[in-house]
Amino acid sequence: MQKTVNDLTNFDPIFIRYDIKIAPKKRDAADVSTDPALQAIAKGVVEGDEDMVAEASKAAIASKGPQTVIDTLILGMAEVSKLWDDGVYYLPQVILSSDALMVGLNMAEEALGSAVVKRGTVVMHCAHGDIHDIGKNVAAALIRANGYKVIDLGSDVPEETVVQAAKDNKADLVTGTALMTTTMSAFHRVAELLTQEGINIPVVASGGAVSEEWVTSWDRGVYATFAKQGPEMAGDAAAGMSWEDMRAKWNLVV
Amino acid sequence: MPKYTSMAYGSWEEMIFGTAKHPVSIGFGPVELGKKHVHPQIVPHPRPGSEATKAKILKEYQRMTEDALSHCAALGFPSIVIEFEHIYQMTSQPEWAAAIFTQAKAQMKEYYDKYGLKSALISTVADLRKPDMVNMRKCQEIDWMLETFDSTAANGADVLSIETMGGKEVFDYAIQRNDMKGIIFGIGVLSSIDMAWLWPQIVAIAEKHGITPGGDTDCARGNTAMFMAGGFTATDVPHTVAALARGCSAARSLVAYECGATGPTKDCAYEDPIIKAITGVPITMEGVASACAHAELQSNLVAAVVDLWSNEAVEYHDMFGGSSVEVFTEILGYNVAQMNAAIELGYAKELQAINVASDKYRDVHGFMLSPDNSYEIGKAIVANVDSYYLRAKAAVLKTAELIDADSKMLLTDFEKDALAKARADVEALPDNEADFVDMCLSEYSKVPGFDPTSYGF
Repeated sequence: MQKTVNDLTNFDPIFIRYDIKIAPKKRDAADVSTDPALQAIAKGVVEGDEDMVAEASKAAIASKGPQTVIDTLILGMAEVSKLWDDGVYYLPQVILSSDALMVGLNMAEEALGSAVVKRGTVVMHCAHGDIHDIGKNVAAALIRANGYKVIDLGSDVPEETVVQAAKDNKADLVTGTALMTTTMSAFHRVAELLTQEGINIPVVASGGAVSEEWVTSWDRGVYATFAKQGPEMAGDAAAGMSWEDMRAKWNLVV
Repeated sequence: MPKYTSMAYGSWEEMIFGTAKHPVSIGFGPVELGKKHVHPQIVPHPRPGSEATKAKILKEYQRMTEDALSHCAALGFPSIVIEFEHIYQMTSQPEWAAAIFTQAKAQMKEYYDKYGLKSALISTVADLRKPDMVNMRKCQEIDWMLETFDSTAANGADVLSIETMGGKEVFDYAIQRNDMKGIIFGIGVLSSIDMAWLWPQIVAIAEKHGITPGGDTDCARGNTAMFMAGGFTATDVPHTVAALARGCSAARSLVAYECGATGPTKDCAYEDPIIKAITGVPITMEGVASACAHAELQSNLVAAVVDLWSNEAVEYHDMFGGSSVEVFTEILGYNVAQMNAAIELGYAKELQAINVASDKYRDVHGFMLSPDNSYEIGKAIVANVDSYYLRAKAAVLKTAELIDADSKMLLTDFEKDALAKARADVEALPDNEADFVDMCLSEYSKVPGFDPTSYGF
């Protein structure tokens, strides 16, 4: 009788389930405020519950003011980031929290009568001829949730449009994503056009077929491996880090 | 509307690599798919910059094709299928595509005449329609696509295939939020409707030119979920949710065969073992040799019922062993030589058992795609013929049930929770398509660019 997988009980000689071995222990989110009204806002962010955030924010805007609500929303999102870093949360939970955060933020900004001062501005796009943008969308949500202004130009964006947006918005950083090697060439042209316009900012490129070797072969190019790196990269650029220094920090090829 | 109401095979044990209930013959030789033989399929991809001019891209494809064919002759491989997955510039410029296919076909004829090397050429047109940017049925892109299907069919293609994009706008929104309702709507309903609209047109073009309408893949959605789920150390999408999305993919990709596609199926359709169980068409799969394009957790298992063994896509450049096209042609050629040796020696079931044992319990994706579970998911699909929605929902629930029921399929606590929530969410969905669609049209109006008229709503 032929043996099959059903006859096996120990798979260790074939593969090891490292995910089981290293699985983090579940833990609840830490409270960010002792004030129940504010903690309700943070709880809504942590649980990605837009309705909870809306209800709690409405009450707190009236009783404590919009700036306090904004500060609490940010603290809630910081706790979400910790949970993600610890492996307790996965990306979808972070995205849901980001959605909830934006609900509260929009309400607070409306009450303030002006937008919160952002930490920096990032122009994001998917290359001309390329329509694979889920990575860009994830990165945009994460960068936005970390307090940056995101100008999302969408997919299949001509190089000139990207450069004009960077100019119009005084961007700190341009990002481009592509799935295809034959569309990623556009990023190099974006970088050259920025230089021609005298706009001295980095161009972060990423995506399925985009390689570090290629991105670091032209001026301004900085390669990103994961969408998760977006907020810190935005922070580097907003702090004035040059593309050469960003490349030295993030990429192997200098 | 769904058409398949029964399985092509009496049991999963009848399914084996190299043999399909409904074989297909293509190209020079011809290459016979599903007739007790597995064939290799190389998918070469041009280097960045080669798309700059028609002359450059023609030269690139000439070299890649020559490398594949000459390596087969050098190493004694009996057959080769070459797939050109169009780059943007090919589909948007049908005359470029026509020239590339004419050139490749002439090269293949030369090798057939000189060496008797059997070969066939697949034209996979790029679906340039981005659902949140264009109307899927009325846009410049659909005109280009249909024109390029026609131009490549007239100039050397033996098979027409595609990776359609319908429903991706809603799916992308949903997968980022573990939203099973949106996943089922995007894949099971919107993508199925889009295929049912487009595929009769592809089949008509293939019939007009006397060639084969191949297949479609849920790459834009199912593979997005699978790749976002990643390996054991990734924390982007739960692996269980990706597996449930894949169940949905099978219900969706079936539409191509209901519209007249005959296989070979598209290589990156990981749902194809389920498709084979239902339809009996010869399937193309990519496994260990697709490591040049991406990592996966079921590279050996997906060979269990394969008929055409592919590498997904390899960019053209030099390696120590020759060009990347030569190297991957060689890997694929020896992979299938082993499978064909097993068939000739009567050891096919043994090799199948080895490949299944390698990966069935490595990850939930391999688990659900093992022949036994593929067959069970297929049965759930054909038992629900009232609507695309209901069969997609049934596929998802059967996948969840199978994972839950097998104690050898280990899950982390996080994955257990994700699966339980997803299953409960799906069980709570409406029992008929009209109610489900009404609910979704209202809820997903918030997805930027979602245009219900793209799907006939």
